[in-house]
Amino acid sequence: MLLQKITRLRPVRLLSSIHQQQLLLPSTTALSVPRRSVIQNEYRRPGQPRENKFPWQKINFDFSKGLQGIKKHFALLKKEFLARWVGPQGKPILEHMLEQNRVIWEFRGPESLEQWTLSSDQEIGGQSEIYLKLGKNTNTCFLYGTLSSVPPRDGETRYSGYCTMRSKQPLASFDRKEHYDWTSFNTLHLRVRGDGRPWMINLAAEMYFSHQKDDIYSYFLYTRGGPYWQEVKIPFSKFFLSHRGRIQDDQHPVWLDKVNTIGFTLGDKADGPFQLEIDFIGVCKDYAHTEEFAYEVYKRNPEV
Amino acid sequence: MNSTRCLLLLLGRSGRSAVQHAALLQSASSSQPSVLQSKVLRHFHGSSACAKNRPVPGQFNEDDKKRDRSLVAHEDLFEQLAKDVKTKATFNKVIEVFTKRDIRRRGHVEFIYAALKKMPEFGVERDLAVYNKLLDVFPKEVFVPRNFIQRMFNHYPRQQECGVQVLEQMENYGIMPNVETKVLLVQIFGEKGHPVRKYQRLMYWFPKFKNINPFPVPKQLPEDPVDLARFSLTRIANDLDAKVTVYQLPHTDVTESGAEITLPHIIGIQSPSQMELLAKHNPNRPVFVEGPFPLWLRKTCVYYYILRADPTPPEEKVEELYDPERCLDYPLQLDLDLDRDFGDEESFDVEDLDEGPVFAMCMTSQGDQATLNQWISGLQENNPILGQVPTLFRLDSGPRELQGVADGESHHSYQPHPETQGQEPEPGEEAEVIVEEEPRRSQGTKQ
Repeated sequence: MLLQKITRLRPVRLLSSIHQQQLLLPSTTALSVPRRSVIQNEYRRPGQPRENKFPWQKINFDFSKGLQGIKKHFALLKKEFLARWVGPQGKPILEHMLEQNRVIWEFRGPESLEQWTLSSDQEIGGQSEIYLKLGKNTNTCFLYGTLSSVPPRDGETRYSGYCTMRSKQPLASFDRKEHYDWTSFNTLHLRVRGDGRPWMINLAAEMYFSHQKDDIYSYFLYTRGGPYWQEVKIPFSKFFLSHRGRIQDDQHPVWLDKVNTIGFTLGDKADGPFQLEIDFIGVCKDYAHTEEFAYEVYKRNPEV
Repeated sequence: MNSTRCLLLLLGRSGRSAVQHAALLQSASSSQPSVLQSKVLRHFHGSSACAKNRPVPGQFNEDDKKRDRSLVAHEDLFEQLAKDVKTKATFNKVIEVFTKRDIRRRGHVEFIYAALKKMPEFGVERDLAVYNKLLDVFPKEVFVPRNFIQRMFNHYPRQQECGVQVLEQMENYGIMPNVETKVLLVQIFGEKGHPVRKYQRLMYWFPKFKNINPFPVPKQLPEDPVDLARFSLTRIANDLDAKVTVYQLPHTDVTESGAEITLPHIIGIQSPSQMELLAKHNPNRPVFVEGPFPLWLRKTCVYYYILRADPTPPEEKVEELYDPERCLDYPLQLDLDLDRDFGDEESFDVEDLDEGPVFAMCMTSQGDQATLNQWISGLQENNPILGQVPTLFRLDSGPRELQGVADGESHHSYQPHPETQGQEPEPGEEAEVIVEEEPRRSQGTKQ
């Protein structure tokens, strides 16, 4: 935190010295690119004061919730033990090896909506809204809201206007992180019905280094609009790597053995309401698709 | 002497060395040639930057005196020079005024930031020539690093950041730079600076993502609402056999009372498979006209209405037998008792969604019952069954039920055309319909 404070002062002072030279009023907001320190803390909304609470002060203790928690976690633990006797990942080995299609997310009841987190640029002070509910026939999810690209007036943010829906990280017993293992598949298959807007699908995988925490593999989802459902098949070789929204120079294919979450983002700078209905999200193995990676892996911007 | 004559020729160009060469002549006669040579060499070893920033010819100095030297912010410069007319020509003029004002281009970074902010006002944010002209404001070759230390230490960081911001605005608007941009950037910042790196990234990723939209929308949408409706209906129909019919063109009509009313356009689309489905529909069950549903094409939102029916309940489903004589090359139906292995399962283990067939779609600027009735009667010419089937209208009325806040109108300022009813993006429910609304859109059938 100290590092951030120090590095923040320097650009402002440099700019003021330039201004003194040229005797001009600062006509534009000084472009202060925030310097990122090596250790990245949790996201702090620009303009909000830093919280000075100790980590143990944030936990609250409750007896009945504790009992419920114990029951839930031990039940999950028992299921895990018994699943091992059935086969890898709880499925018989033949099914695990030969499986060609697997439905990962379905929307068959209100509890399926609990697996998803919604977020919009209201977290940084914008005015977009996003809501999620079950569709009319209780078999699909209906994601709707309003997009507004008016940037928040905090002096730092220049662009705004995004809405996302992200799946929650699957948890094993005692809130341990679990990952999806999609190594035997190579295509993402969705059935959606949009309103013509282009969305972006983001996959977050479990990485080894903490710097790679915000690495996301993305690709575009173009909806046609209209009353008919649209089947979208995106091979995993097309997903490109981006970190904190910036597409990276060193690209590599997504490692499917530890996928954490999938997300849908809308940020197409067209203000107004939007809607997207998703029937199911699954992965499948397309034998006809032999591409390993769609982008060049060698260094395309070599250093001096 | 020979050497002094050469010196005279060489020094003849510079104006101020008239005094100096007199001194040299004097010294030439007295001192040794080595001293002469060192004096001459000192002139040639002046920095190249100095040589470029030579004292400007006399006319500029006079202009300086004429202009008043008030402190003017760069944005005000834009306002001053382009008071009413904000076009590309005036924008270019402002840039030229700035470039001609000072050979050293003092304050060019702030000027470029101000220009980037003003571009949308002048309407030139999608014009590549203007961006190239703006990049031209940078002085050339001054910011190019000349050795490895300068390259290492982010030579002229403010200017590099400014160059990167120009390219970032181009990236935001989706404009592909061209060779002139690259030449300018290399001249200004050198080949290994941040702006050229950003240019290389743009030139790598933009072509990769330019044509990946399977349902492309042209950049210039048709202005005429009829053409726009035609384009969007063919897009959502998902069937190349679908036929677009214009039931009514927009025109103004004078009623008996003398009032002028504008009649909206009504354009519908129906494909032969939809006509077949409608012909097979049971006349006892009603059909619904539902809408308006939104469709976004880049930045414009248009609305369409559909004619659909609820899915037939399982007891009424008539299984159609394949006519074996339809195809004599191979059997269309096989009654074999084979099991599929795990590795051969090609469909997902999801229940099939049956939302009922969609019979036709239409677009109109005014979505009230009278206009849609006109559409239905137009459809009736090709689908006589519509005369016997009861038609229910399920048009949106009222604000969204789920948000809890009854202000459905506040969001809708973006709409290109006004509609009489409340427009909600999600399919709403009419208050009178007690029957639980069934899924209203059909699956994609064979296409």
